Amino acid sequence: MTVATQLKQTLVSLKGAQATLRLYEQLSRQQEVRHAYQQALQTVEAVVGDLEVRTREIESQEPQYQGS
Amino acid sequence: MPAWLMVLLRSSVLFVLVFFFIRVLGTKHPAKMTPFRFVNYAVIAVIIGLLASTAIDSFILGLAALSVWLVMPFVLDYLELRSKAVHDLLEGKEAIIIKQGKIMEENLKRARLTGEELLRDLRAKNIFSISDVEFAVLEANGELNVMLKSDQQPLTAHDLAWQVTPQTEPQTVILDGNILNDPLTELGLNSDWLQTELVKAGVSLDNVFLGQVNSVGELYIDLFNDAIKVENPSVRQALFATLEKAQADLTSFSLETQQEQAKAMFARNAADLQSVLDGLRPHLLR
Repeated sequence: MTVATQLKQTLVSLKGAQATLRLYEQLSRQQEVRHAYQQALQTVEAVVGDLEVRTREIESQEPQYQGS
Repeated sequence: MPAWLMVLLRSSVLFVLVFFFIRVLGTKHPAKMTPFRFVNYAVIAVIIGLLASTAIDSFILGLAALSVWLVMPFVLDYLELRSKAVHDLLEGKEAIIIKQGKIMEENLKRARLTGEELLRDLRAKNIFSISDVEFAVLEANGELNVMLKSDQQPLTAHDLAWQVTPQTEPQTVILDGNILNDPLTELGLNSDWLQTELVKAGVSLDNVFLGQVNSVGELYIDLFNDAIKVENPSVRQALFATLEKAQADLTSFSLETQQEQAKAMFARNAADLQSVLDGLRPHLLR
């Protein structure tokens, strides 16, 4: 497995986790718990952003991995 | 008036009277009544029995006697609320039986409790060794309440300095195959959500005997047909595992990458995800 596909897999699973976190944030009734999910969501969003940038970099450097 | 009609009339009147009296007097459990209250009720019962069976000739006289026993509890209740001294006098005072791990024989004797009885009461609370007890009180109604020594008390999340997610009470949303809408709205959910969850679990509504949703929004179901196996919700654990895997991936990326900038980026994000994991652990795993 190439670096690019590994990276993309991690990216996808993190995006899935992001969706679940958002769901839990909506379902939480207590302010405290909601806040914890919000914070986690923000961090995960930042990580996803970084990974997306990195994927694009790799793709531009090594175009043969594009779309894989 | 014929005797049978008399008995019938009296009984009916007394029935209604007693019914309302019991309703008004409250819902204290008979076993938790003080001896005085118990005697009071017994006297009322006897007077009513005598009156109804016309053993007391004059209905008016009987009612006069009854009224005292009916009204006095209310008066005493009122006085007890007002004054601690009256309360202690009527309800009795609790007695300290064990203090700092030592049995107070004087108090034991005053409460007319033998050592054997004390041991039996302790055993009823799953305490077989007196050395585990720090403090014990005999309440006025005869119930023994025990505080264990601190090293014998059950372990709590607080003892472990574990953070746990605050959980509110679960709501019962399905009973006997019927959706209960009020508890659902209480959780901010609706029957559409419930239908989706049931489809996900692969069961039909009329096969569900009981369904409960906890404060995190997880649905637990019990089916009429116990041969069918339903999966209990584990989405929270799965989410935690996903995040853990992503964190491990990022760490390995940072080790594998040659490029300095990317290395730093992966390492930073791995650390960020680790802090997310630490923050979510109480909510997702406990």
